[in-house]
Amino acid sequence: MADLEYLFFLGCLIPYRLASYEVSARKVLNKLGVKLVEMPDFNCCGFPIGPVNFDLALSLAARDLCLAEQKNLNILTLCNGCFGTLNDANKILKEDEELRDRINSYLQQVGMEFKGTVTVKHIVHVLTEDVGSEKLKEQVKKPLTGLRVAQHTGCHLVRPASHVGHGDNPEDPHVLKELIRLTGAECVEYTDETECCGNPIIGVNEDLPFEIAKEKLDHVKAAGAQALITVCPACHMMYDFNQPRIERAFNTSFRIPVLHYTQLLGLAMGFSPEDLRLNELRVKPTELLSQIQ
Amino acid sequence: MSQGPRIGVFVCHCGLNIAGVVDVEAVTEYARTLPDVVYAVHNRYTCSDPGQEEIRKAIKEHNLNRVVVAACSPRMHEFTFRRTVSEAGLNPYLFEMANIREHCSWCHPSTPEAATEKAKDIVKMAVAKARLLGPLEPIEVPVTNKALVLGGGIAGINAALDLAEMGFKVYMVEKKESIGGHMAQLDKTFPTLDCSICIEGPKMVDVSRHPNIEIFSFTDVLSVEGFVGNFKVKLRKNARYVIEENCTGCGECRDVCPIEYPNEWDMNMGVRKAISVPFDQAVPLIYRINKDYCIECYKCVDACGDRQAIDFSREPEEVELEVGTIIVTTGYDIYLPEEGNVYGYGKYSNVITSLEFERLILAAGPTGGHVIRASDGKRPKVVAFIQCVGSRDINKYPYCSGFCCMYTLKHAIQLKEHYGQDVEVYIFYMDVRSNFKGYEEFYMRAREMGVNFVRGRVSRILEVPENKNLIIRAEDTLLGEPIELEAEMVVLATAAKACDDAAEVSRILNITRGTDGFFMESHPKLKPIDTPVDGIFLAGACQGPKDIPYSVSQGSGAAARAATILSKPSVKIEPIVSVVDPEKCRNTRVKCGICARKCPYGAIRAEPGKPAEVIAAMCHGCGTCVAECPADAITQMHFTDAQVFAQIEAALENNPEDKIMGFCCNWCSYAGADLAGTSRFEYPPNLRVVRVMCSGRVDRDFVLEAFRKGAGMVLIGACHLPYDCHYIDGNWKMKARMEALAKMLEKLGLTPDRFRVEYISAAEGVKFAEVIRDMAAKMKEIGKERIKAENAKLKPFIDRMFARKGR
Amino acid sequence: MAELQQEAQENVKPEKIDPKFKYEVMKHPGAEKIQMCFQCGTCTADCAIARFSDFYKPRKIARIVQLGLKNRLLGNPMLWLCTTCFTCVDHCPQGVEVSSIVRALRNMSVGNMNEMPFIYKVFASNVLKTGYVYLMPESRLKRRGAEGLPPLPKSNVEHVTKLFEATGFLETLENASTFKNVNLKTGDQDG
Repeated sequence: MADLEYLFFLGCLIPYRLASYEVSARKVLNKLGVKLVEMPDFNCCGFPIGPVNFDLALSLAARDLCLAEQKNLNILTLCNGCFGTLNDANKILKEDEELRDRINSYLQQVGMEFKGTVTVKHIVHVLTEDVGSEKLKEQVKKPLTGLRVAQHTGCHLVRPASHVGHGDNPEDPHVLKELIRLTGAECVEYTDETECCGNPIIGVNEDLPFEIAKEKLDHVKAAGAQALITVCPACHMMYDFNQPRIERAFNTSFRIPVLHYTQLLGLAMGFSPEDLRLNELRVKPTELLSQIQ
Repeated sequence: MSQGPRIGVFVCHCGLNIAGVVDVEAVTEYARTLPDVVYAVHNRYTCSDPGQEEIRKAIKEHNLNRVVVAACSPRMHEFTFRRTVSEAGLNPYLFEMANIREHCSWCHPSTPEAATEKAKDIVKMAVAKARLLGPLEPIEVPVTNKALVLGGGIAGINAALDLAEMGFKVYMVEKKESIGGHMAQLDKTFPTLDCSICIEGPKMVDVSRHPNIEIFSFTDVLSVEGFVGNFKVKLRKNARYVIEENCTGCGECRDVCPIEYPNEWDMNMGVRKAISVPFDQAVPLIYRINKDYCIECYKCVDACGDRQAIDFSREPEEVELEVGTIIVTTGYDIYLPEEGNVYGYGKYSNVITSLEFERLILAAGPTGGHVIRASDGKRPKVVAFIQCVGSRDINKYPYCSGFCCMYTLKHAIQLKEHYGQDVEVYIFYMDVRSNFKGYEEFYMRAREMGVNFVRGRVSRILEVPENKNLIIRAEDTLLGEPIELEAEMVVLATAAKACDDAAEVSRILNITRGTDGFFMESHPKLKPIDTPVDGIFLAGACQGPKDIPYSVSQGSGAAARAATILSKPSVKIEPIVSVVDPEKCRNTRVKCGICARKCPYGAIRAEPGKPAEVIAAMCHGCGTCVAECPADAITQMHFTDAQVFAQIEAALENNPEDKIMGFCCNWCSYAGADLAGTSRFEYPPNLRVVRVMCSGRVDRDFVLEAFRKGAGMVLIGACHLPYDCHYIDGNWKMKARMEALAKMLEKLGLTPDRFRVEYISAAEGVKFAEVIRDMAAKMKEIGKERIKAENAKLKPFIDRMFARKGR
Repeated sequence: MAELQQEAQENVKPEKIDPKFKYEVMKHPGAEKIQMCFQCGTCTADCAIARFSDFYKPRKIARIVQLGLKNRLLGNPMLWLCTTCFTCVDHCPQGVEVSSIVRALRNMSVGNMNEMPFIYKVFASNVLKTGYVYLMPESRLKRRGAEGLPPLPKSNVEHVTKLFEATGFLETLENASTFKNVNLKTGDQDG
């Protein structure tokens, strides 16, 4: 199992707000034989810097990639934003020689050089491509039969398609659906599954992302899903942390628990809800837990 | 002609096309210094009447016996100037062209000085070859005055009928069971709203009844061999399990057949019997048993009775035909959006394609002409048509499919005619293209009738789960706002694409395809119906999407082009054929016959004890045998070893280490270089090109001579493997030869990058420029010193080899 | 800074057109194909923001770049509404990366007008100070141990600072003025 070794890129939002994602991810990955090597002195992937200065954002991403190159390990992220940003930077810098030279001239100031020798993977890619469905099936000890959930893949895991690869269809994402089905749960379809969560602009306007998220929660509810499954801390914040606020703003009620996929998988693998920090969710999955007990 | 060569050089400005970059005066001045050049002049347009007159005058006044024109590509005007010199009494083969436009001024605009130096070299190479040219006479071959029309759509039908009316025998081959093509699937035609089968049906019957036309339907083409006037075609008639001569088309067998399967003719929306014809008006009206579905109950045999038309033991039958010309009219296919597409085609039952809509609204179609929804059988009150599905999309088909705007207008008008204000029709479009006679008026009519036009490309369609209606998301770009619209049916105008078997047809016929997959015409403007293969013509949508009037016109046009060959007892073939020197041929002494084995056309006979002999009428002039001959006993007229050696020497006289010596096939990489020029793709000016008719002509000795003369790099440009060679497989012969040579050269210390074989099609101007850029960069990287050192090490070895051969 | 809609009602006069503007935009990574846009509106129809905002229209942004009405764009708060979901990039039939063009315009706005939304200044300042986007509370860092998580590594602030300096963004950041919110009703900035 020495193959399943990655440099773990934690990012900023997860240690700041979503220990539940980190704890559950570390637990299931460990059980699946995936070894996470801690990443020393990493910095922000550059995602929130791109809009103000793309060169700096690329330089920050490239520095993280250089750290991985030095360790000769591929990167594993839990966050769509970190995945998208690092993967994009990796691709652009590999392909655009002029840009690479410019960014490397900045990196020279910190004694580094981007070479383009590692790849960046999201936990979803590691689970589907490297761990594989056979091994996942083996580890599912308590199939979540009878549970009806919906998925939200999120944009930066699949778009832009030409930069991401990995074989999912951004217009009709199926990879997370298949991962959900492996837990024994049913993955229900709902209207407009590919709609963005809206989180990235919440800092400049709150009303608009709330409207978008409300539309999504309406559709998820209409489809009769008992929970929404995410694989990105930003999407998760939008649907879980902000759900009560959205309910207040639109004078409505959803009460849809939003689980990190690693929590759903963890439950199926036999971890306890406490192990997986389900108690840390803002919308309590009480009904869901009583059903699967 | 007792006197030595007296060469006239004419340097063309081509307006500013050449003179804007190349110093034409300096080139002319330089030409005067070249051996045997007695006259040199430059003029604005050499191909114009005054320009040609100047050549004719100079031939007489200066007693010229060779002419070199430094202008555009020989693929453009070689023919023009050959005629010019022959009008002045000179043999047309005493003319040579120096391509200083496509290969020089157009691709080196930012380095005018280097371009001028290159132009001088190109002229020098042409003069060197011109000194060794000899007069040639065209070869005449007899013509079989019968034609093959490949494809029975409306273009093919017109071509066949026109030729038949002119009195020529025509074979029409159709892979489907019936002729008629897509037009026979349509309900009405724009802009007149004629019933499609009502106007095409009689023509289909005319084809079947014409004494000069023989139809082979449900038939595939296996192979085509031969050349203009003399093609041999092998067909396979697939088994219908019905004896054609005995079938009366009465349909009694169908009536008793218990098995139904989806009818492809109805876009699989309707069904047909296991013994049936695809539609009532099928021509020929011969039934067919589909054995994939037939349960062999033999009820049809009983129903057929004494007619005894059914024969379950039928096997596919091979037929051989001899024809003088071939007209390709194989048509197009419709793109179907793949799984997971944003419009929900295949997922939402009320999203259909336009061709499916055609079958719905057709009275003889599966619903009897009722436009109804698959989800509930109800008539939709709101119908949305989505344009450019796959077309004008760089991720699918970048081109405009041409006829979709018009057939969508037709569908909209038909709906309005049927249901008036009881149906709302929306057309989502980017541009309405209605640019032929009566088409704009048709668009006006649709607006008058109340059709709604929304200018915006639809981004996504969502299904309403309860009623299976469809939410269409687009921006109304004229309003400047995103809109959502609920429709009860969505019709997709999907792209017209090249036939799925276009690659196969292109291989069998040796005709080329563009990057869009459609067959390539010989010249986009002046030879829109011809293919690069003499005697093979194109008509209809196999060359690019076309509507009915355009296809019909092209069918007639192709018939006229074919008649120019069929109407004569013989055609003239370019005399650039191979000739064996019986004195040098080893076949008299040893069992050799290599040339006969390597000839792609079987045009060489090598009987034991006798010198090999080329059958000139069968020789296509690729020159492969010349390069293969171990005794250098074969010569290709107009492309002799001596001429090519002279070109190499001229090209590499100065600073050879800076130069890339290229040997390019006329049909692919030479044309690719032309295209790089036409497209103004810039690349470094280090390349010097010798044009050969086929990469198969490139002798090992050419490569060795180039390195002996100090070349920095050598490039052989060939047609793509496996099937693109204009001469069947000359490129494969070259490949085998050059792989062995590359190994040898590497052993002798040559950096492998310095000798390169590239496969570049006539459509790959981009690739040609990239290859030269890359080679020039590598040449720089390797460096002059190393090149010189390697060449010096090679030279004695090559000298010894050539000495042994008496070169 | 008026929003697109209102500006559009003013006539386009020669002095407002800068035909070279598009070339400036095209220099930014991903913005190279702006001239290929044939205004089909797929991007706008697909855009979650455009469906809920009267002012944010990606197609119009592309159009205004093509025409060179740069004063309508640079510094326009509406630019900050793009969520970078990249749906427009995936669906564009002409390969135009509309999101990347918006990013280029944001970068140009920050560079030319020295103005950015408050939140981005906070994010960038935090990254400069700690390497992370957020200032991690001590209590949170301490709790990691209790939860059995390895300690969060200290980021290399020295390196990060040098990258800020090298790209010239350090100075921009120090001097940039800010606004808090983009008003959906007016398309203008609040605060």
